[in-house]
Amino acid sequence: MANDKSSLQLVTRGILSENPIFKLALSMCPAVGISTTVMNGLLLGIAVLFVQVFSSVTISIFKNLIHPRIRIPTYTLTIATWVTVIDLVLAAYMPEAYAKMGIFVKLIVAFAIITMRLEMFACKEPVKDSFWDGVGMGLGFMVGMMVIGFVRELLGSGAVFGYDILGFKPLLFFILPSAGFFVVGLMMAFFNWIEIFYKRKKGLQ
Amino acid sequence: MMTRVKNKSVLLAVLIFLLAPLFAHAEGLVVGQTFNGDKEIQVSFAVSVDKNVAENIHNYTVFEESDPDIKLVLSAATLATDNKSVTLQFEDVLNTAMTHVVEVKGLGGVEKTTFKVSKSYLGYLFSILISALLINNFVFTKYLGLCVFFGTSKKKTTAKGMGVVFTLVMVASAIMSWFFYQFILIPYDLNFLQIVVFIGLVSLTVQAVDTILRKVNPILFNSFGVFLVLVIANCVIIAVPLIVANNNYNFFETFMLALGAGGGFLLALYLMSSVSERLLLANIPPTFKGLPIAFIVAGQFAMAFLGFSGLQIF
Amino acid sequence: MKDIITIVVRLTVSCLLAAVVMGVCFIFTSNAKKHNEHVKEQQVMYELLGYKGDAKVPESVAMHEIYRYVITTVESQSIGYLVAVHGEEFLLVEIDLDGKFLKNIPLTMSEADALEGDLRDKKVQEIVGPSATVKFADQTVVVTDDGKRIAYLISGKFQGFKTFVSVMLAVDPSFTLLGLEILEHEEDPGLGAEIEKDYFKNQFKGKPFAVLKNIDVVKAPIPADYLKALNGKVDEQEILKIRDMYKDKDIYALTGATISSRAVSNGVKGIVKKFAYRVTVLDKVLAEQRLTVPF
Repeated sequence: MANDKSSLQLVTRGILSENPIFKLALSMCPAVGISTTVMNGLLLGIAVLFVQVFSSVTISIFKNLIHPRIRIPTYTLTIATWVTVIDLVLAAYMPEAYAKMGIFVKLIVAFAIITMRLEMFACKEPVKDSFWDGVGMGLGFMVGMMVIGFVRELLGSGAVFGYDILGFKPLLFFILPSAGFFVVGLMMAFFNWIEIFYKRKKGLQ
Repeated sequence: MMTRVKNKSVLLAVLIFLLAPLFAHAEGLVVGQTFNGDKEIQVSFAVSVDKNVAENIHNYTVFEESDPDIKLVLSAATLATDNKSVTLQFEDVLNTAMTHVVEVKGLGGVEKTTFKVSKSYLGYLFSILISALLINNFVFTKYLGLCVFFGTSKKKTTAKGMGVVFTLVMVASAIMSWFFYQFILIPYDLNFLQIVVFIGLVSLTVQAVDTILRKVNPILFNSFGVFLVLVIANCVIIAVPLIVANNNYNFFETFMLALGAGGGFLLALYLMSSVSERLLLANIPPTFKGLPIAFIVAGQFAMAFLGFSGLQIF
Repeated sequence: MKDIITIVVRLTVSCLLAAVVMGVCFIFTSNAKKHNEHVKEQQVMYELLGYKGDAKVPESVAMHEIYRYVITTVESQSIGYLVAVHGEEFLLVEIDLDGKFLKNIPLTMSEADALEGDLRDKKVQEIVGPSATVKFADQTVVVTDDGKRIAYLISGKFQGFKTFVSVMLAVDPSFTLLGLEILEHEEDPGLGAEIEKDYFKNQFKGKPFAVLKNIDVVKAPIPADYLKALNGKVDEQEILKIRDMYKDKDIYALTGATISSRAVSNGVKGIVKKFAYRVTVLDKVLAEQRLTVPF
């Protein structure tokens, strides 16, 4: 199965057809919690990308040595190690960004998406494919976070990446904490709508 | 019948456990001391005291425990008619969150009487519980545990089971993490191992609860066991020890936070499942079916929970 | 049985591997973290003093740290101020609760050690002796220009709306606020989090001590000209003029975040009041004892 998939396909699959946020509906907590700006989304996305890629590769390299009985503890240990690494690095070199993301960097350890990819993909496939799958999933998460962040920041504070674009604040509501739920819900509905629209079109043909 | 007696004794044990800090206060000449509003301290004595001594503001020295060199300025001290309680009035607003130390000279023949005034510790603990339960509800205001939240809030019975299991595991793992953090991670300067240790302890607790429940109460296990698997990969559970470590909570505070967080999760699940059951009967546009409508509902709950912020009971 | 052994061995090996990775990472990052935190702190300090961005700090400007300790024995409490005298020589000035001088103890340690909280605390505990316990309370910085005091930098922490807010303040020798910087907070984005925006924290700039003592917040929109000046949208002279016009006014509360605004203004008020009292006591003692300090 792995051989007939190019690396490009693996990456685009993570971003589009199996997007962790909008399609698989996993790792919703940060998508609602700290998606108030594009920057936050980008930074947490990078952290997740790092953990996902490194964990996938690690598990893929050692897949023959992992005893099936202790599969899950090993995954957890691997993820926790890489999360600790990125946590320490961010705290040391980017203290301001780290402060903004708060507890969510540490919580990457409990993201269902990462464990799921290890269980479903990395423990069976070769290193190269696992790497690209990790990149795809990580990028998918990052793109999802940034899209939500873009909508919230643009509508909430009239800016993108902190640069004032609109010059006024259309709806303060969107950067208020509880608006995250609405934005994610509405965007999911929007994607559903597109899907239904296309299906209907196909049906008519 | 048996279970009811059991429940009662458990409740009693919890009550005693919670009240324990209350009896830690020493007793003597001063039998009661409380803040009265934010500019007054009320002190009551075991015996009648001399009016001349008690009403002379120069006999009092009052300061915040952490700032012993900053003396607070009294404007008046008035003795009640029964000569047994005195009200100290201050010029400035007191910071009632801090413990205040009051020293009185020559009262009741004693050269110096010292006592502390603070908001009741029990009240403080209770405020942590309420805060984790409502004000900082882990689902609606901290946005944690959403995967499980949306996954298991379809039916009321599932929601209840899930909530109870979560609370149990959360309390157990938080207490264990607290011990590890206080007695191993801090003394040996291993703070950077936080994440690994905490997630390990959570998995261990889940495994332990699984084994124990299976042996001790198979009926309960049959109804709750399924949820245990979901617990491990969940951010609420791991967030509690991380918050405890961040705020340097003591044992009682940790217990209350874990209880509040679990209770809050249970509450959120129950509320959401009640709505979900109703939604089954509603006519939802096809684009909103499933998760989108659940998110919108959760958003409305989150807005409602915003109303709790600033709530103060003690 | 054989299974168990392999499981145990493999788990141990993977734990060891993980420990090595984390340990190495910790060793590499911990120094960088300390360094970056220090740089950040310095930067905040200079910005509060008005040296923004590339503006060069003159050579004559020097910073002197004062560390305050609470010393508790069985029967009494006192305050110890650790001040640098000259190079590696420090002096712990012990003052009782009524502001009277008790004693001073000389102490030598390198400047790098003094910056390191734990090491410094240990040294102070050593010289005070085992009969008393010392507890670090806070640290302030005296800024001098050519030996003359130009400002104090005070850091503090107080209860905000949600959790703690930690701030750094700059005041001049007559305790007029020169600036306020919010270092850490966890207020709600869009509401309480606005305390870190210029238009809120710049309101504190230029408030004299007499006004600050009784400052309160008002629930009213900020007048348009003041808002412009607070955001730095007009030129320097105009800002000073407007700041002077509003210097006796209360703080305008943030929309929808009155409690956060009040928490900040009360917190700042408390910090400055306490500091003003302490520095006067310390100065009196230093003058009485004829102790020479570089500030």
